Amino acid sequence: MHEPELWLTKIFNDHLASLGNSLLGLVGLHNDRPWADYIVMQILVAAIILLVFALLRPRLSVSKPGKFQHIFELIYDFVQGQTKEQVGHGGHHYFAYFGTIFIFVLFMNLIGVIPGFESPTMSAPVPLGCALATFCYYNIVGVQANGIVKYLAHFAGPIWWMAPLMIPIEIVSHLARPLSLTLRLYANMYAGEQVTMTFLGLTYFLVPAVFMGLHVFVSLLQAYIFMLLTMLYVAGATAHDH
Amino acid sequence: MTKKFVVLLFLLLCATSMLCAQTPAGTAPAAADWAVPVSAGFAMAIASGLCGLAQAKAIAACAEGMARNPGSADNIKFALLLGLILIESLALYTLVIIILKVK
Repeated sequence: MHEPELWLTKIFNDHLASLGNSLLGLVGLHNDRPWADYIVMQILVAAIILLVFALLRPRLSVSKPGKFQHIFELIYDFVQGQTKEQVGHGGHHYFAYFGTIFIFVLFMNLIGVIPGFESPTMSAPVPLGCALATFCYYNIVGVQANGIVKYLAHFAGPIWWMAPLMIPIEIVSHLARPLSLTLRLYANMYAGEQVTMTFLGLTYFLVPAVFMGLHVFVSLLQAYIFMLLTMLYVAGATAHDH
Repeated sequence: MTKKFVVLLFLLLCATSMLCAQTPAGTAPAAADWAVPVSAGFAMAIASGLCGLAQAKAIAACAEGMARNPGSADNIKFALLLGLILIESLALYTLVIIILKVK
């Protein structure tokens, strides 16, 4: 089932097709309409986040905080509280990545609610990209914190003679992490939209708004869970045995 | 975020892009076309049912824990949320297979 493009994607494909094809050409692909919906939506979300924070920065003030600052202080305190709880002492080093992944996934999930736009997380490559980035991040951070030898020695588990059993189990479970992150986010977002669309065909006009409300709630929850699991993986990777 | 870290992260991300290589898909015989949607329906029903049972057990245990010990309600709430989401994702894996396989 080939859905028509969004209006923004149409603008990108009509005017910037050569740029898209030159980027695709780097990996040996070519397409008549190179910009996919999810690529354009991700660029839009990144631009919106940049705009929001560019507007926030000059309005920050210690003595007279405004409403904008209060909202972002709430978000900041929330993420920082979770970091302290999950990662513990060294958490502030990784706080930037947790905050970024939370805001990015949250905005990507929510932009689909606006008519005329589509959640980029509804297409499988986008959650895959976020999950792979998280996978690379927590492994690199674990190696940075513990050294490569000690980090790999983690896989053997606490008792040395159980290592031949533990190592395959640990490797499979580590490989299952980006898979589960991807599938959880993708399936939730895709199913949320499909349920709304299906009920739109079944009942009267405004009744599926209930399902859309559920979808907004699930979007918030899934962004939180993505961030939380990232924190748990980083906490497990950087755990010092003392 | 040192420069070495950024370079390492970029290299690892490029390496994982190799996983995106597409393999050609095979075609199923036309005679058994009815089997895929029927088994998809049964699979999703079983997955959702078992997910519902598991989440019910989790919520029941958490509600009882919060009733017995209101002071630890925050910790229990956190464990509840995490548990519900992880159980939910198991039912969603079945949904993903259906999305991928049912025309």
